[in-house]
Amino acid sequence: MAARTLRPLILICDDELPLRELVKAVLGDGYRYVEAEDVNQAQKVLKESKPEAIVLDVMLPGKSGLEFLSELRAKRRNKAIPVVVVSAWQSADDQRTALNAGADAFVGKPFDPKDLASVVESLIAA
Amino acid sequence: MIVVSTLGAAAIGATLALFFVANARLKSANTASARSATVSAAAFDVRAAVVAIDVALQQVVEEYDAKNLAQWRRASRSWEAPATALERAAAASNDRQEQRARALRDEIRSYIDDYGEPVVGIAKVSPAAVRSSVAHTEGTIRLDQIITDTDAVARNSAVIAADRSGAAGRLADQATIAGIVALVLTPVLLILLGLWLARVVADPLRQTVAAASEVAAGNFDVRLNERRRDEFGELAHVFNAMTESLSVSRSELIERADSLERSERHKSELISMVSHEVRTPLASVLGFTRLLLERDLPEADRRRYLGIVDAEATRLAALVSDFLDARLIEEGRFSLRREPFDLRSLVREQAEVTLGHDESHELELELPDRPLEIDGDRARLAQVVGNVLSNAVKYSPDGGTITVGAAEDHGHARVWIADQGTGIPPEHRGQLFQPFYRGDAAAAGIPGTGLGLAVSRRIVEAHDGRIGFDPLDRGTRFWFDLPLEAAANGRR
Repeated sequence: MAARTLRPLILICDDELPLRELVKAVLGDGYRYVEAEDVNQAQKVLKESKPEAIVLDVMLPGKSGLEFLSELRAKRRNKAIPVVVVSAWQSADDQRTALNAGADAFVGKPFDPKDLASVVESLIAA
Repeated sequence: MIVVSTLGAAAIGATLALFFVANARLKSANTASARSATVSAAAFDVRAAVVAIDVALQQVVEEYDAKNLAQWRRASRSWEAPATALERAAAASNDRQEQRARALRDEIRSYIDDYGEPVVGIAKVSPAAVRSSVAHTEGTIRLDQIITDTDAVARNSAVIAADRSGAAGRLADQATIAGIVALVLTPVLLILLGLWLARVVADPLRQTVAAASEVAAGNFDVRLNERRRDEFGELAHVFNAMTESLSVSRSELIERADSLERSERHKSELISMVSHEVRTPLASVLGFTRLLLERDLPEADRRRYLGIVDAEATRLAALVSDFLDARLIEEGRFSLRREPFDLRSLVREQAEVTLGHDESHELELELPDRPLEIDGDRARLAQVVGNVLSNAVKYSPDGGTITVGAAEDHGHARVWIADQGTGIPPEHRGQLFQPFYRGDAAAAGIPGTGLGLAVSRRIVEAHDGRIGFDPLDRGTRFWFDLPLEAAANGRR
């Protein structure tokens, strides 16, 4: 039981259910997951728990993922949480905007499952 | 200005005429002077002849002899020539002078015939009698009269000459003054004439040249004054017609270029939007497929993942066919499958499908108690309501109430959908129903193809309806009107 509680918590913020399912399937049983469909839900999650990493979509209903990211980085408590931005908008400009907003990594949709897994692993290990 | 030039010409003409008249008068005055001299000379001769007659008569009276008698005969004949000359000279002056000269001639003849000859006759027989004072006095009176009359002819002639020359002199003075005035006036009039010509010819020409240069430089808004009723007015009219037509064609070209540019921009936005819309389900399809291929998964997970792949692939197929469908409708290549139905049920269904699971928006339905029967394509009209509803959701990201209603309105069925969202900025209102037009939506990260409203308008218009929107204090109300079935039947 102790080992189970030690598994890192990952926040998946994406309005598409299939995508959240995919991220969970890709990262596998080594993590615990908490899901959010939009920025409001993600903020609620952050108040109650402190995830080890966040997988964040950009185009969300209401506030965009990048706005959420900027606000996140402005708070000292959440400054250090590694964030992987996953987006179908993946031009060089889009990637730069995400990194400037405070993303630690960028993965374009569609993605190779191995890529996302290794990015998340390395961020948590670091 | 024609008045000024006419005046100038008249002044110059009058001055010249004055000079001619003055010159003629001066000539006539000269002639009169010459004539006066001739008359004076002739009068002098007559006077001398008369004195000679008197002297000869005195001598005959003093001493009646052959020599003195011969002298008398000569003298009483020799006055004729100077008298004729005087008469001729006087006749040239005027009638009065001629009469005077003729009277003088009669007087001399009368003196010779009625006084001289009788005195000579008496002197022959009684010299003493003729020396009596009575006869002598009579002779002296007559002679004095003749001399006075002769002098009068000469004097009158001189007076006439003096008059003429005085008048001629005055006229010459006037002509000189007129000449000076004309000399001063002519340049002034010429300058005025020049200015007038400049205004009438040079100015419009210069304006035309300036306007033509403007046109050459690309300014087609330049216009000439068409007020004049001459060739310049006609030129201005034609010129203005030319610039007008140039201006119209240019703005048409600009409009077309703008519209092409807008359409290109919308298309490129559409392509990036479509690729985003496609990538999202594609990410699931590819991701799960890769997992299924690479990992040994429990049967339950395999089935679940395959289910997701199937659903997402189906969604992709629907997306593509929706897009193609939207293109077809937008291009007008579709037909309606009309059937009579109650619009209320369609509105209710769509509102519940779109907003049933939406937690951030409140739905408010405003439907009448009586049915709203229309004759239309149910699926297409559901598409319209769905499009407008999904816009209401997308463009009110902060939630709020979405009001969906329908009612009968002047023989039409009206459907409205109002949101409390961001509203439509005035600069986007005109193009809202243009295909691919999305305003600031792409920049704001709001998904969509920009085809929804364009397609909706096509569908509504195919039903002989109208679609529009009213900006609200907060948000926007879209509406569309469709003919009620009774009205539609009545029209057929």
